Amino acid sequence: MATVDSPADFGIERRRSGLVDYITTTDHKKIGILYLYTAVAFFLVAGALALVMRAELAAPGLQVVDNQTYNELFTMHGTAMMFFFVVPLALAFANYFVPLHIGAPDVAFPRLNALTYWMFVLAGLTAFSGFATSGGAAPFGWTGYVPLSESTYSPSVGADLWIMGLLLSGVSGTLGAVNFMATIFGMRAPGMTMFRLPIFVWNIIVTSALIMFTFPVLTAALSMLFIDRNMGGHFFDPKVGGDPILWQHLFWFFGHPEVYIAILPFFGVVTEIIPVFSRKPLFGYRGFVFATLLIGAYSFSVWAHHMFTTGAVDGPFFSATSMLIAVPTGIKFFNWIATMWRGKIRLRTPMLFCMGFLFMFLMGGITGVFLASPPIDFAVHDTYYVVGHMHYVLFGGSVFAIFAGIYYWAPKMFGRMMNERLGKVHFWLMLLGFNVTFFPMFQLGLNGMVRRIADYPAETGFAPMNLLASIGSAIIGLSVLVFVYNFFMSKRRGMPAGNDPWEGYTLEWATTSPPPHHNFTRLPPIRSQQPVFDETQQAQRESRG
Amino acid sequence: MEMSQRGRKILVPAAFLPLIVSACTPEPITSQGEQVSDLYTIFSVIAAVIFVVVAGLIGWSLIRYRAKPGDDELPPQFHTNLKLEITWFAIPQVIVIGLFIATAFVLVDVNEEADDPAVTVDVEAFQWGWRFGYSGTDVTIIGIPQDPAEIVLPVNEPITFVLNSDDVVHAFYIPKFLNKRDVIPGKENRFSVTIQEEGTYQGFCAEFCGLLHDRMPFTVQAVSSASFESWLEGQGDDDGDS
Repeated sequence: MATVDSPADFGIERRRSGLVDYITTTDHKKIGILYLYTAVAFFLVAGALALVMRAELAAPGLQVVDNQTYNELFTMHGTAMMFFFVVPLALAFANYFVPLHIGAPDVAFPRLNALTYWMFVLAGLTAFSGFATSGGAAPFGWTGYVPLSESTYSPSVGADLWIMGLLLSGVSGTLGAVNFMATIFGMRAPGMTMFRLPIFVWNIIVTSALIMFTFPVLTAALSMLFIDRNMGGHFFDPKVGGDPILWQHLFWFFGHPEVYIAILPFFGVVTEIIPVFSRKPLFGYRGFVFATLLIGAYSFSVWAHHMFTTGAVDGPFFSATSMLIAVPTGIKFFNWIATMWRGKIRLRTPMLFCMGFLFMFLMGGITGVFLASPPIDFAVHDTYYVVGHMHYVLFGGSVFAIFAGIYYWAPKMFGRMMNERLGKVHFWLMLLGFNVTFFPMFQLGLNGMVRRIADYPAETGFAPMNLLASIGSAIIGLSVLVFVYNFFMSKRRGMPAGNDPWEGYTLEWATTSPPPHHNFTRLPPIRSQQPVFDETQQAQRESRG
Repeated sequence: MEMSQRGRKILVPAAFLPLIVSACTPEPITSQGEQVSDLYTIFSVIAAVIFVVVAGLIGWSLIRYRAKPGDDELPPQFHTNLKLEITWFAIPQVIVIGLFIATAFVLVDVNEEADDPAVTVDVEAFQWGWRFGYSGTDVTIIGIPQDPAEIVLPVNEPITFVLNSDDVVHAFYIPKFLNKRDVIPGKENRFSVTIQEEGTYQGFCAEFCGLLHDRMPFTVQAVSSASFESWLEGQGDDDGDS
């Protein structure tokens, strides 16, 4: 199974310099690290864009940027967070840990893997290069609704660059998904049956399936938009028989599964961490797998809840499906709680971030059920209520879980522990800043503050809560600086991690930190979902005699 | 010591309760809006209960099951209980079915169009403003960023809005109606309300529509039927721009 003649093998012998090595690498671990750095860089950039927006919104009137710039800012913030941060970060973890989790030396197609990464870099740079053109970046929101995104209303080159960037990212994501599917189904170590796979790997399977079924739909829609804009097409032009609603259907048929693509991998991360730090096996492994598959299946039937106010969709049907999808997510909460129940919880930084995830995602999930009810959606759709909800899901959910994953796995990836004290400072600052920023948005939305506005009239009374949100965003910014400092400081001077600093369960803890080129010199016998735990228990029993 | 710990256990989830309940809809001013507001309240109460139960269980586990320093014994390694798992699959299922039924009733009423509206307003959204035509008269009110529109409507009478756009997608939104509809080129949308309270209300464009999307606020004045009639007659003279 191990491909001894992969090009990476020859690379090792020639001993390239660090930079050339990373540029030419096909090693899944190095590609994982490249994904991690690049995605976090996009996170910092997109976060900075958000801070500028929050500065603008702190008080009525336009003080910081003009309307055009503001529109470019929120477009690129959303685009970058969705396409160039959250999903690539999932791919960073998947790249590094799927082969380790299944006991494989690499992914199935290492060179395709490198291509996937470099296409993603190109995609991000292409979309952002709009800022360097005279017309600016795309100004129509990450959802790119037509006719606004047609050349009549958005003639700038930045809009075409946005389309090209997303097209590339769509192709890159699809190829990546194919690679993970092939790896997981074809390269599992002896004994690693499907029901012994770590939950993280199961989540990557479902995520990959969602990517394979939905990214091509987005790619098709973007191609149609490109044809409309540049080749005289009329797919979405109502004046000659085109249909603007069609774009919304295509976009959200991709866009809602996309939300699960952006959260499922991190459900996986959290589900790896909670059992280890509770010192118990995951409660209800099969139920958890079943719930993940159910979410994946349901996610194809809920897209039009983004379109209730168009009056062009079947409200009751999409309302029912959107509420039903809350159930499998609810199951997961009970599984997580039952895993902690009667455990011995060690509240280290990764576990702290998981707890932040649980509380914040709970808020996001509950407010999601409100939005699944069309009459309530009519009231709060396109307001800050939705902005609050989506950030509780994607920031409170995905981003907290991402940091949990980084604190959990950085020792494995870099061989050194991250600083606990700074990690805790980072956590509490981020939790505080996050809630101060996004909690007021629910009330702002109910009061009628709509999304995507650079300014609001003073007499609306929106100002105090906006100021509060802006102060919160500064606290988030500060917490991220603490993280960046901790990351680089610990990478250089942190305590050596050893093979298994957390008393982990899964195979990545059976090898060195960082692992050798082909990952394992030996594998423990795989007889359960926790092979490393089994082996250490066995060793302890034997030493006791 | 024991008391204070127990106190904390209750306080942690309870602290979130006012946060959830505090988020409530603005006072609705239409009969349809009242139903939406009631529905929102039902959702909020159930949401608060769910939040307190789930967050409480997480909080309890965190406090009760923290590892004591130096305790290296493994906790009991249980990991399945089919009956329990079926229970917590069934309970949320029942809750969402209940919420869906409540939703369905309100949805029918909110979507119901008035048979014989006293006033029909033809709303045309454009980049960046509104054109409000009172159907059956030649009264038209136009709002642009420099000069926002102020429209007048009667209370206690069914009013129907007919929404059209000639350029991009907008959305017609008056927060105190607790309702909005997209204004889509090539697709006419309609909805009806009965305003119950006199007053002045803000309206906005809710769907992002380009450069000056934030400059589309307008004002609705709800007045008695008699005042409305006299206002409408007074408008008839200066055909067009308010």
